[in-house]
Amino acid sequence: MASTRDIRRRIKSVKNTRQITKAMELVAASKMKKAQQAALSGRPYAELMARMLGALADRVEESHHPFLAKRDVKVRGIILITSDKGLCGALNSNVLKLVTDIKTPAKYAVIGRKGAQFIARTRRELLADFPANDRTTFADIKTVAEFMVKQFLDGVVDTVEVIWPRFRNTLAQVPTIMPILPLSSVKDVIADLHSDAGVVASASTNVKAVDSQMLFEPDPAVVLDALLPLYVNREIYQHALDAKASEHSARMVAMKTAKDNATKLLGDLTLEYNKARQAGITQEILEIAAAQFAA
Amino acid sequence: MALTLEIVTPEARVYSDTIDTVVIPTTSGEVGILPGHIPLLTQVEHGELRVTKNGQTSLLAVSGGFAQVEGDRVHVLAEHAITEEKIDENAVEAALKRAEEQLKAAKDIDPQQYEHLQNLVRYSGVQLAVKRRRR
Repeated sequence: MASTRDIRRRIKSVKNTRQITKAMELVAASKMKKAQQAALSGRPYAELMARMLGALADRVEESHHPFLAKRDVKVRGIILITSDKGLCGALNSNVLKLVTDIKTPAKYAVIGRKGAQFIARTRRELLADFPANDRTTFADIKTVAEFMVKQFLDGVVDTVEVIWPRFRNTLAQVPTIMPILPLSSVKDVIADLHSDAGVVASASTNVKAVDSQMLFEPDPAVVLDALLPLYVNREIYQHALDAKASEHSARMVAMKTAKDNATKLLGDLTLEYNKARQAGITQEILEIAAAQFAA
Repeated sequence: MALTLEIVTPEARVYSDTIDTVVIPTTSGEVGILPGHIPLLTQVEHGELRVTKNGQTSLLAVSGGFAQVEGDRVHVLAEHAITEEKIDENAVEAALKRAEEQLKAAKDIDPQQYEHLQNLVRYSGVQLAVKRRRR
C-alpha cells in the first residue's frame, strides 16, 4: 500500500487538475454562447441576400458567370476548418477522418493549426493555411474564401468544398463536407440561403409579385455577377462561425468530463488515504501495546 | 409615409429604423431615396450614407455591397457598415497609416492582398471623412 504521503501528493495534483479543467469549462461555456450568437447573427444577411437573388433570378437568363459553369473534376479544392488548439475531445480527429476518406486528388486550404499539421504530416497538398482566431471576422474568412475562389478560377482546382464540424447541438458536432463551387443554379442558392436564414421558402413567393417592375442599376446581369462572389464568401464565413461554435461546445463538454473524472478520482484517493492513515494508527497502537506487554 | 431602413453586414444588423429619406452611394452616383421610390436593386460603393429622420441627418460609413428598395422598405447589404458615433478616429487613422505603409513597402505583393489593402484604405478614408464632416 502506498504511503500516506504519496497519496496526499497525488490528491493535491488531481485537485489542481480539477481546478484547471473547471476553469477551462467555464471559459469555453462563455465563448460557446458568444460563438452561437455570432452564428445566428448572420441570419438577416442570408435572408436579405435570398430576397435580392430571388428578384434577380427571374430577370437574368442563366448567367455565364464562371461560378455556374460545370467542368470535369480533376482536382478537388477543399477548405478544411479545424481549431487552433486541442483539448476539445474528438472534434478535430473526427473531421480529419473525413479527410482521410478522400481518395481522389485534392488540394487543401486550411483554417486552424490542427488541420495544417495533419495535412503536412500525411503529405497531402497544402495550398495555404490560415490561423483560426478566437473571434472569427468576416474580413479574415474573406481572404481565405477569395484565395480559394482564385485557385478555382485559375483552374488549379475544379471544385471548392468545405469540411467543418457542423454544429448540431452542444453535445453533437457532425463532421460535414459541403460543395460550394461550382454552384448548381441560382434557385439552389436561394433555397440554401433560406434554410440558413431559418425561414420557410414560401415567404419569397409573395415578394415577387410586388417587384414586377424593379429597376436594376447598372443592369441585372452585372448585379448578379457581383452578388455571387459575395454569396460564396458569406457561405464560407457561416461555416467558419459554425465550426467555432462546435469547437467551443466540444471543448466545454470535454472539460466537463475531465472535471467529473477528476472529482471521482479524488473521492477514491481520499478513501484510500483515510484507510492508509487509519491502518498506520492501528499499527502504532499495536506496537505500543506489544511493547507494554513485553515490559 | 415613412421609409424603413435596414442595414446588415455578415456580422450583424447595424441599423434598423424608420426614416424620412436616405442617400446611398452607388456605383452610378449617389441615389436619394424618398418614400414611394420605384423598386430598385443596385450596387453600393464605398462612401457615406446619409439618413434623415425628423430633420436630423445621421451619417454612416459603408463599404461595397448592395441596396434594394422595395415598397417603403430599403435594405442595404454591405460588407462593412459603421455609424458615425462608433467610428474611433484614432484607431482608423492608425489602421490607415499601417495599410498605406504596407502598400508602399511592398511593390510585388499578390494582387489579392493589394486589393484588400486598397479596400481598407478606402474604407478608412470614408470613415474619417464621415467623422470629420461635422467640424
